[in-house]
Amino acid sequence: MIKAENLQKRVPMAGSELEILKGITLEIKSGESVAIIGASGSGKSTLLGLLAGLDEASAGRVVIDGTDISALDEDERALFRGQHVGFVFQSFQLLPALTALENVMLPLELQGQGKALTLAQTFLERVGLGERIQHYPRQMSGGEQQRVAIARAFANTPSILFADEPTGNLDTATGSHIIDLLFELNREQNTTLVLVTHDLSLAERCQHRFRLEAGALIDGD
Amino acid sequence: MSMTATRMLARDWRGGELGVLVAALVLAVAVVSGISAFTTRLQTALAQESHRFLAADRVVRSGREAPADWLQEASRRGLGTAQVLTFPSMVYAGDEGMVLASVKAVSDAYPLRGALRYSEQPFGDLITGGRGPEPGTVWLDSRLFPLLDVAIGDTVAVGEAAFRVVAAARTEPDQGGSFLGLGPRVLMHYADIAATAVVQPGSRVEYRQLYAGEPAAVESFERWLQAQLGEGQRLLDVNEGQPGLGEALQRAESFLLLAGSLGVVLAGVAIALAARRFSERHNDYVAIMKSLGATSGSITRLYGRSLFLLGLLATLLGCSLGWALQSAFFNLFGDQLPVAPGPAGIRPYGIGAATALVCLLCFAWPPLRRLSQASPLRVLRRDMPQEQRRTLTDYAVGLAAVSGLMWWYSGDWKITLAVLSGLAATVFLGLGLALTLLRGGRLVGMSAGSIWRLALAGLQRRGTANALQVVIFAMAIMLLLVLLLVRTSLIDAWQTQLPENTPNHFALNIAPEDVQGVEQLLRSGDIPGAPLYPMIRGRILSVNGVALPQTDDPEEGRRQREANFTWADTLPGDNRLLEGRWWAPRSDAAEVSLEVEFAERFGVGLGDRIGFQVGSEPFEATVTSIRELDWQSFNPNFWLVFPPRLLAPYPATFMTSFYLQPAQKPFLNGFIRQFPTVTVVEMDVVVAQVRGIVSQVSSAVELVLAVIMAAGALVLVAGVQASVDARMHESSILRALGARRRLVLGGLWIEFAALGVFAGVLATVGAELSVYILQAQVMGMAYAPSPWVWPVGIGGGALLIAGLGVFSCRKVVSSPPLAVLREL
Repeated sequence: MIKAENLQKRVPMAGSELEILKGITLEIKSGESVAIIGASGSGKSTLLGLLAGLDEASAGRVVIDGTDISALDEDERALFRGQHVGFVFQSFQLLPALTALENVMLPLELQGQGKALTLAQTFLERVGLGERIQHYPRQMSGGEQQRVAIARAFANTPSILFADEPTGNLDTATGSHIIDLLFELNREQNTTLVLVTHDLSLAERCQHRFRLEAGALIDGD
Repeated sequence: MSMTATRMLARDWRGGELGVLVAALVLAVAVVSGISAFTTRLQTALAQESHRFLAADRVVRSGREAPADWLQEASRRGLGTAQVLTFPSMVYAGDEGMVLASVKAVSDAYPLRGALRYSEQPFGDLITGGRGPEPGTVWLDSRLFPLLDVAIGDTVAVGEAAFRVVAAARTEPDQGGSFLGLGPRVLMHYADIAATAVVQPGSRVEYRQLYAGEPAAVESFERWLQAQLGEGQRLLDVNEGQPGLGEALQRAESFLLLAGSLGVVLAGVAIALAARRFSERHNDYVAIMKSLGATSGSITRLYGRSLFLLGLLATLLGCSLGWALQSAFFNLFGDQLPVAPGPAGIRPYGIGAATALVCLLCFAWPPLRRLSQASPLRVLRRDMPQEQRRTLTDYAVGLAAVSGLMWWYSGDWKITLAVLSGLAATVFLGLGLALTLLRGGRLVGMSAGSIWRLALAGLQRRGTANALQVVIFAMAIMLLLVLLLVRTSLIDAWQTQLPENTPNHFALNIAPEDVQGVEQLLRSGDIPGAPLYPMIRGRILSVNGVALPQTDDPEEGRRQREANFTWADTLPGDNRLLEGRWWAPRSDAAEVSLEVEFAERFGVGLGDRIGFQVGSEPFEATVTSIRELDWQSFNPNFWLVFPPRLLAPYPATFMTSFYLQPAQKPFLNGFIRQFPTVTVVEMDVVVAQVRGIVSQVSSAVELVLAVIMAAGALVLVAGVQASVDARMHESSILRALGARRRLVLGGLWIEFAALGVFAGVLATVGAELSVYILQAQVMGMAYAPSPWVWPVGIGGGALLIAGLGVFSCRKVVSSPPLAVLREL
């Protein structure tokens, strides 16, 4: 379960302060899929960063499965992320120097997972890239790269998966395949899915939606 | 974490991320160890070569025979030894022949360094090598054959002993410029000395004990010997054996060390640049790894281990490359160096490894260590500023490392300080100037055409980064200019020191009535020569009325106090007045002008009164000027010069020097026949030897210059590379928007050329400053500004950097914009 209490984010800017998030409170139950929607600049990605423990809030706190991650320091948050959190990003964020297989192995290796190789192979086969495990990101299409990213995200069986505009860099057909894959794996592994998007049809596939506008939560169902 | 550093390195290597850093490190180690090995081997070789002038590594010179124990001690330590005795003596042949000769008696092992040259007939073909004459035989100077009217196989007498003439003595390695050996040479065996009965206690003779061997053994023997030396015994090494050569070698050594130090600095800069770029590129990776659960501790360990492995790899590769580099030099240019290179030992490679370690710790580690602080939020926001600002500590650490390495490498804080001053001037001036000019450019640029607007906008957008880049370019160019300037003035100085027709013969003991005849003969032979100087042998008795103390050793006492006096109305050509004033023409005053070292030796200065004696007549004169001489000019030089009228009453002989081409040598025969009392000293072999060494050293200097130039070019490449990503990115967006090839390339040309011009200006200023300090303080040379360095520095900087920059970015106009953007 993810609980956000009065989350605020302010950044200093040219003498004054810019308020990006104005006190967000929300709750996401385990195994649920939720979408955070809103226009560009509404604060969606900032909220995702705070919920995932990638950033520190100016005020308020985030509690995930009973752990107050706002109280952790960066290294403790990193360990927490490694054990509980998976990511899928709009720009894939694969390491260009690593092959598809090595990219998927990376979080497993960071966790000290002994069977990193077999697990990574299994997940790459699961996303339909069993034949391309030795390829580098630059040798793959956007859709294929995102599938590697999905394999990487699920490889260490996280309890929560955060996805930031996962189809933002893909065409409609590829995008919908990716989303199908994402939801399939989500169901198989019973993961909590938090998805940031401005694509309403994608948001519709989630169980709940939170709408952000100018840093405030105006709607949630 | 289980991901090992080796695996990350292997992956980075495959991804092409490590290329620049590894190349910079390998280059650093290779340049430092290569140059170090090169200079060490060359120094050993040159030292060997210069030892030829002593015919040994060390020599003890004395007026009485030095203890035989010393020779035994030297043999016990594994050194080779030989003995030499030089004395003037009449040589007789038949009833009429009789000439005053300089006799040199040598033992079997002579010479220990270098080689004797002789010929089977007078003036015949030279034969090099072998031992001196066997007991009972002599070699005669070619000129003695006609003077004594003898031929090979005839008999001549020295003192009470008769000898068979078996060869013509041509040159000995240590004949040097010593005027003690006046008169034509007779070479005999050391064992025959007693038989001649010429050498008696108190005779004017010079004994030499020669020692040579492994440098370490020679040095330890030298320490032992120092404690044994008594009065009248002097230990000579190369520098004393041939002062002119010692100075040339010292300057060359300074230059080579300077070059090596600059290599260290350039390498450091290259590594810092490469590490910075590496860490910038890795910023995103670290963010991704952190988002996937890596802690900062594990990232620090990962990069720490990687760096250690890199250092190890680079040291191995670099040392091998350095070794290959220097042996390639000796293979390629071995013909130019008639001296066989000595061994280098392992020290150069130790220096290489230490350089790698220091460079990694001080230049590469700071940016990599900070990688662990990269925010994982970058995975969501790629445009986040990179937290890679170099702190003041980084610069301080870098500066300390550069200074330390330079000092350690050159072993000379003056060199270090001179280069650092120039670098400091370049950096501070550079940052200020670059920031100001790059900001000021906005006003001009806005109204200019689109290429210019593009270029100037590009320059200003990355103002600070560009200023930094300008400084780095300027540093590299400055170091190269310093080297170029020093090398040029060094070689110029050597060439002017021994110009083409440097006098190579001295004529002494010219009687006053022969002066006109000698002048006429030289003129008729079309032989360029110095004026004829009067020469009077005199003694110094007292200073300010106090008689000089007695010494126990008559020989030493004579050496100290006897001198050649001359007179002149005007300051001799290559003399320089240091203190006081020159006397008016036709002065009647009792004045004397002293050579500066001579004055120091006697502890006298302007205004002191010195008592002299010529023949049996004493007189006094006041010191009114102090002069500096160029002892390497091979012109007649005098310690003491008097006004003409003061010396007029005393009997004088005259001397001169002149230049003979090899083909003109037979001129000497006629000269000697016409003026049999005149002593001619042949210096041509010495001059040729000095010139040979100077040309070897010059080619060494040129070679080292070329290596450092390559290192400098690589720094420039690394510097250009550092900004290529950003520029490629912008250019490919421009291309995507439809900008033509000409516009994009033109903009890049202007942008990089502008950086090059700034860098060139700064580099030139810094270089002039460094060179000023180096020449004045380190090389002991006069500083002269070099106007040509300005156009070379600025124009060269602009062309080089524009060329490299546009070349590095060329892909942007040859590949589709999307492909370029995807690769960045």
